[in-house]
Amino acid sequence: MPEQQPYEAGRAVAGTGMGGAMDLAASEATTLERAPGGPEGPGPGGFGPQGVGPAGRPRSLWSDAWRDLRRNPVFLLSALVILFLVFISLRPSAIASGNPLACDLAKAQDGSAPGHPFGYDGQGCDVFTRTVYGARTSVTVGVLATLGVSVFGSVLGGLAGYFGGLWDAVLSRITDVFFAIPVVLGGLVLLSVVTSNTVWPVIGFMVLLGWPQISRIARGSVITARQNDYVQAARALGASDARILLRHIAPNAVAPVIVVSTIALGTYIALEATLSYLGVGLKPPSVSWGIDISAASPYIRNAPHALLWPSGALAVTVLAFIMLGDAVRDALDPKLR
Amino acid sequence: MLLDVRDLHVEFHTRDGVAHAVNGVGYAVDAGQTLAVLGESGSGKSVTAQAVMGILDTPPGRITRGRILFRGRDLLTLKGEERRRIRGAGMAMIFQDALSALNPVMTVGDQLGEMFVVHRGASRRDARARAVELMERVRIPAAAQRVRDYPHQFSGGMRQRIMIAMALALEPALIIADEPTTALDVTVQAQVMDLLADLRREYRMGLILITHDLGVVADVADRIAVMYAGRIVETAPVHDLYKAPAHPYTRGLLDSIPRLGHKGRQLYAIKGLPPNLTHIPPGCSFHPRCPLARDVCRTEEPPLYEVSGERGSACHFWRECLDGLGH
Amino acid sequence: MGRYVVRRLLQMVPVFVGSTLLIFLMVNVMGDPVAGLCGERACDPATAAQLKREFGLDKPVWQQYLTYMGHLFTGDFGTAFNGQKVTELMGTAFPVTIRLTVVAILFEIVIGITLGVVTGLKRGRPVDTTVLLLTLVVISVPTFVTGLLLQLLLGVKWAWTRPSVSPDAPFGELIVPGLVLASVSLAYVTRLTRTSIAENKRADYVRTAVAKGLPRRRVITRHLLRNSLIPVVTFIGTDIGALMGGAIVTERIFNIHGVGYQLYQGILRQNTQTVVGFVTVLVLVFLVANLLVDLLYAVLDPRIRYA
Repeated sequence: MPEQQPYEAGRAVAGTGMGGAMDLAASEATTLERAPGGPEGPGPGGFGPQGVGPAGRPRSLWSDAWRDLRRNPVFLLSALVILFLVFISLRPSAIASGNPLACDLAKAQDGSAPGHPFGYDGQGCDVFTRTVYGARTSVTVGVLATLGVSVFGSVLGGLAGYFGGLWDAVLSRITDVFFAIPVVLGGLVLLSVVTSNTVWPVIGFMVLLGWPQISRIARGSVITARQNDYVQAARALGASDARILLRHIAPNAVAPVIVVSTIALGTYIALEATLSYLGVGLKPPSVSWGIDISAASPYIRNAPHALLWPSGALAVTVLAFIMLGDAVRDALDPKLR
Repeated sequence: MLLDVRDLHVEFHTRDGVAHAVNGVGYAVDAGQTLAVLGESGSGKSVTAQAVMGILDTPPGRITRGRILFRGRDLLTLKGEERRRIRGAGMAMIFQDALSALNPVMTVGDQLGEMFVVHRGASRRDARARAVELMERVRIPAAAQRVRDYPHQFSGGMRQRIMIAMALALEPALIIADEPTTALDVTVQAQVMDLLADLRREYRMGLILITHDLGVVADVADRIAVMYAGRIVETAPVHDLYKAPAHPYTRGLLDSIPRLGHKGRQLYAIKGLPPNLTHIPPGCSFHPRCPLARDVCRTEEPPLYEVSGERGSACHFWRECLDGLGH
Repeated sequence: MGRYVVRRLLQMVPVFVGSTLLIFLMVNVMGDPVAGLCGERACDPATAAQLKREFGLDKPVWQQYLTYMGHLFTGDFGTAFNGQKVTELMGTAFPVTIRLTVVAILFEIVIGITLGVVTGLKRGRPVDTTVLLLTLVVISVPTFVTGLLLQLLLGVKWAWTRPSVSPDAPFGELIVPGLVLASVSLAYVTRLTRTSIAENKRADYVRTAVAKGLPRRRVITRHLLRNSLIPVVTFIGTDIGALMGGAIVTERIFNIHGVGYQLYQGILRQNTQTVVGFVTVLVLVFLVANLLVDLLYAVLDPRIRYA
């Protein structure tokens, strides 16, 4: 191992083999690991008593971040998009009256018509209805996979970071193993044999291959938090491990995990669509943007609208989550202000 | 006059408003003279120095008023390229933390030699030879071998010597040393300070020594300028100031130095905190912390009163202060 | 240094065994390896049993794994069920994917770093905001959508390029697919470079360089860039493995007969030997690339000493 830990840590995270979006969500978040100590970024020249606002009121990392976010248009816009997506996932019939599975081959590849603003796809299904209903799959997969990955990853990584020793060494090797497997490839192999046509295998696969990423982040931030003076003090006062972990370390180590998880949520949605596009995620008659894009690609010449609408919806959804994570990271990272 | 700073104002635009870091600073240094600039962090002493060197970060910093005359030319009116040529050759700066101030991925030889390559058009070989020479001049052992080493391979004291060597490279007329010994062990501090003083004499350079350590100043400096909240509050020859300060802030600083023979007596501390530079108190900015403060101090900003031919104090009650009141 | 390399090589062994075993298990346990052999219909039990015996599939999985690895180290990657040697497939597939990866890496270096430096130096200006937003969009649009869109626009609508790549896959035809493959990483390289530049721009040694009276150009190239690009170079290095493994989608869209194509076919046909063989090589590439990046890191940053 290199002597200088901080450099190695930064590099190791950047070097994950997950491919695609997850890598940098992680590597950009490493700067955050230093943040929980408090907003200590010295202003130019270091004016006045630090950490105290103009009114003399001490600011915490979170209230400071929230104050920033409320005024950040990027955050507000992406939060609005996400709220809308959650709404149409819960109540798709509120804006799309049709049935996504009711198709009329006679209208295949037709353009937009009154009441059918997005036109028809290759099977003559209404693209608008299917695009609206597709949101449910994406949001479900994204949210559940993120929850699973975050819980699983931060518990394993946090414990490894806190207790160190053999458990940590073994876990590090296991994460190495998972990082070495390209994610789309793993998905193809694992999911190609699954016959169940629900979201569960897809979610299970994402948790299986996604947890090492969060575990590495959680481990790093727990190690950073563990070295804080107040944790040492609590230990000296005889606090139990459980109490130290829950009361002192978790609140300070959770920021990077939240940021990476938010960004990862977007990438899981993209991954579900990719796997469905490759034919191993969800399969018809499930409704998913990935399936629709895949189905529309042979007719790309004659009916590009059938490809463009679900693609656009997918892109906007992923973008919203990534921008949200980005905004949260900027707000939590006092260093880059 | 080698350097003459007049009525300099610098402000920073921050998220919490405009921070007034420097508010009308004026000081002068002659060739061969050492001026010590004293003050707490945030008093504007480093910002003033950065403005003089032309390395202020703009934005967020902005020089709103004032003149910086170097050998009679106002640096603030010069073009970027002319200004650049003065940096390093006419005036040079020594930074506080040599470990972060030196480029971690370049050998010290390359960093020293770069001065000759850029300003004098020296060849690589020539530059290397000059670098070794410089390292010998600042008494770094085995210079010829160590010229190929990286900054992290040197001890703190040796690194600071390399910083000094870099500043001396082109024999500038003025050197600004920003807390040159603060980051060093106490035992090494004296060595580095002595080296700096020797070299200054040898080259007859002007030296601005920025520090918050009154102990360092006494032996080295000719004059002292004390800064508070972006202003000079007192300026005087070193010995006059030590004998009898003419500003309550200076008195507070002197009283807070622990001394032998004062055993058992409580150490003095100036009460309160330095002001927030976005909200500097009206009147005399020191009044909330001043034992001598009266109503006039809260409303009227004191000018720099002339105490004697060589001394100035920005206190309405400098006479009382000189007489030793307000302990 | 030598000892460090040896230790790293030893550390690679468990990771290598772990990841190949994982793939081996996935392929063997979860899928029925003989299912794809009898055409569309399911095999009758007798034939299936005979086939399994023939390929040694009746033995316990760990024994199969050991046998397989044993063969592998003598250079025998086995035969695909259609009788073609897996090494032959590799011989045709890998050069294509390597060419594709090279194109992608070149895009990352040239476009990614340039944009990152420009935006990092002009933080907060309109150029910065625009490029930053653009990178977010590129990251958000999944590769297969980017690929299909570029194919639609460049290949079909404007007919600037061929919509699909010929079997030889010369460099010229790989430019658009290479851009698609690189797109997400390219955006990350831009952002990483930008962050790194913006962070280092305020570093003390950059201020020192300015105070030394160096011209701006020299401050940027000699001092700022040299330090800022260290994390970027390592990111690009580790990305090699990820790109080769992630080429499945790109190769599918542009019908490129590379590693991804062979893997996709192998997985659909449940062709155990092909899949495990290709994945093993990809894992090796990933691990070796990581090791080289670590060593490169020591060269770029003299503060790192490996013991």
